[in-house]
Amino acid sequence: MIKENTKKQDLLWYVLIVVLLLVPFIPQVAANSFTQHVFILILLYASMSQAWNIIGGYCGQVSFGHSVFFGIGAYGAGMAVVKFGITPWPGIIIGSLLAMVVAVLISYPCFKLKGHYFAIATFAIVEIFNRLFMVWYWVNGALGLDYPMVKTGWTNFVWYRTKIPYYYGALILFTTIFSIVRFIERNRFGYYLRAVREDQETAEATGINSTFIKLSAMALSAFLASFCGAFFVQYNFRVDPPMVMSLQVSMVFVLVTILGGAGTLFGPLLGALILIPLQEYTRVLWGGLGRGTDLMLFGFLIVLIMVRQPKGIMGLINEYLNYRKTRKIISAQPEINS
Amino acid sequence: MNFIKKISIIILTTLLVFTLVNGAAFAQEKIIKIGTLFPLTGSCALAGSRCKAAVETAVEVINNSHPECDVPLAAQEGLLGGYKIVLVHADHQGKPDIAKAEAERLFDQEGVYTIVGCYNSACTNPASMVAERQEKIFMCGCSSSAALTERGLQYFFRMAPTDKTESIEFCDVIEWMNGTKGANLKTIGIIYENTEFGKHAADEGKLAAAEAGFEVVVDVPFSPGATNMNSEVQTLKAKNPDVVFGACLGGDYTLWVRTMKQMDWLPKMCLNYCTGYQDPVITEQLGDDANYFMGGTGYAPEFAELMPAVAAVEKIYQEKIGVPFDSDSIQEAVATFILAQAIEKAGTLNYDTVRDTLYANEWNSPLSMGGKVAFVSGGQNAKAMSMITQLQGGEYKRVFPTELSTDEVIFPMIPWSKR
Repeated sequence: MIKENTKKQDLLWYVLIVVLLLVPFIPQVAANSFTQHVFILILLYASMSQAWNIIGGYCGQVSFGHSVFFGIGAYGAGMAVVKFGITPWPGIIIGSLLAMVVAVLISYPCFKLKGHYFAIATFAIVEIFNRLFMVWYWVNGALGLDYPMVKTGWTNFVWYRTKIPYYYGALILFTTIFSIVRFIERNRFGYYLRAVREDQETAEATGINSTFIKLSAMALSAFLASFCGAFFVQYNFRVDPPMVMSLQVSMVFVLVTILGGAGTLFGPLLGALILIPLQEYTRVLWGGLGRGTDLMLFGFLIVLIMVRQPKGIMGLINEYLNYRKTRKIISAQPEINS
Repeated sequence: MNFIKKISIIILTTLLVFTLVNGAAFAQEKIIKIGTLFPLTGSCALAGSRCKAAVETAVEVINNSHPECDVPLAAQEGLLGGYKIVLVHADHQGKPDIAKAEAERLFDQEGVYTIVGCYNSACTNPASMVAERQEKIFMCGCSSSAALTERGLQYFFRMAPTDKTESIEFCDVIEWMNGTKGANLKTIGIIYENTEFGKHAADEGKLAAAEAGFEVVVDVPFSPGATNMNSEVQTLKAKNPDVVFGACLGGDYTLWVRTMKQMDWLPKMCLNYCTGYQDPVITEQLGDDANYFMGGTGYAPEFAELMPAVAAVEKIYQEKIGVPFDSDSIQEAVATFILAQAIEKAGTLNYDTVRDTLYANEWNSPLSMGGKVAFVSGGQNAKAMSMITQLQGGEYKRVFPTELSTDEVIFPMIPWSKR
């Protein structure tokens, strides 16, 4: 019995490895630029949500403020290219470090609040930063930053006629963030995060400094979200406050993760795999009708999934696996009895 | 086995014949795909739907014989000896990133020849950059940000006047009022939505005011889609400028006007950019409160005698959307007509030839005020015109320039308490 299970588990891993090995070849198979665009968004949104998953899923601190860090990263890259006329890389690094500092500074007082109160405080922070960037003329305020025509290639991380390099860029981002989270999951830090999520008081009683753990998680999460923001601006050649620093963007972080399954490694990927094609293809099919049919259908499907399984798609998968396990135990019962 | 073989041969033969016939049909099909990209959902959905209907109207006139319409290409059917235009619609939801993605999809996946759009300047910007990078033509009807035609793009063409043109026109009106009516207008306040459109309009307003020697005493940005404008109007009221330049779109315009009424304050004169002022539905909603406001207007049904060719086209448009053209939607129809004329004149769909043809000629455009369209470097229509109107009794009365005016300006604006 055990041998059979092990075999099946091995098989699952082999399938997963094969799928992962095939991922780099997707652009060759999906030559259509819109399909490539959808895959790029899946990888980007999965990365963004995985970054949020560190604080929101593993640590249980539901933050609606991640668009601030995403925006800081986007502005870092945008300012480097548009204002200083240099490659975006220094801007990306500075932006990400700045996002970490901002995350720590704004989270420290917010972490004195718990549960819903913490979530509400993060809501307010998004609005504050949005308004600030709207009137901050050094970053072009409401006008935003529009990329000039620059030399294409990895130095400027800009391509005009192909999306394939963006796909690989997104794949690198995705692999890096997922590897970091996978490492944390098995690390002592990951256990501390889950301990704080399950019961902060008990965690503190066992000697865990919950404030330090939460701040570290938030800093790491903001740092990674900021990289995603930088990728976003390089892909869209434009950044303005509503594009990156808004409650709508913050909701994307939360929605994708919760849909897939918060606090699980594959939840963000599953959420993005469902949500992004749904969002993009409903718009393509029905967006031109002009009645918001695509958005209504999109909303309806999300409600349907959430009502059916509030723990997300990973919850559905676990439910199915548990059901199969239970059935096997029941069918094995007579053999044991006999 | 024999039976299966026979069935297989029949199916394969049918498929082959079907494919060949279909292929031949497609090969014979003479169509030019044009993409439309407007905000069909979100806060500007109403305006976006009207722009979409305007392009559909133009295509209806171009594709079919409409002898009743006195516009170019109406008498014939299609272009280039039988080519028909097929529209592919897309919705950018007022978001620049979606506008870019949809522009790419329209060109790469749908294979459109060109795109007409995008209403919101912030969306026109990235979408037209997609066209430029692919060296394909982008036709812009009504996005008014002056910066769009200052980017030095090769394949971008815009029909409407810009915020810059309107700002200068506003200052001309003030000078004319001071000179001829003894209005003694000295100070200006600017209220605008804090977006690419509003910010550009405000910047151009300040520049024009400074050049004309007026003092801008208050500058009030607000977030679009605001639910309360008390503090904004309070700020205006505290500084009490003689004239207010407004750049408030759609519902924000309604809220702004109603808040001014609630606070019982009005400037002596109020001049609006291409905004909610020009929207006939909003004017109807506001009723008497809409009166005595002024603004730049490219078209209103009251201009019928100035632009007699509009009526027949407008009839087709009204059948589609139920309202007459407004200043914005008519520009999208103009964009479509001009592109079609250029293709017809060039005799080819080659992008560079059509682009050069667009630049090289002065186009007959009965749907434009002034009747002509001609492009200068950067793609701006140098013949773009608008005139200053004032809402009186719910109608857009032409008040400036004087040679085209039909009515006198009611000055100062009649206070709320005396209406």
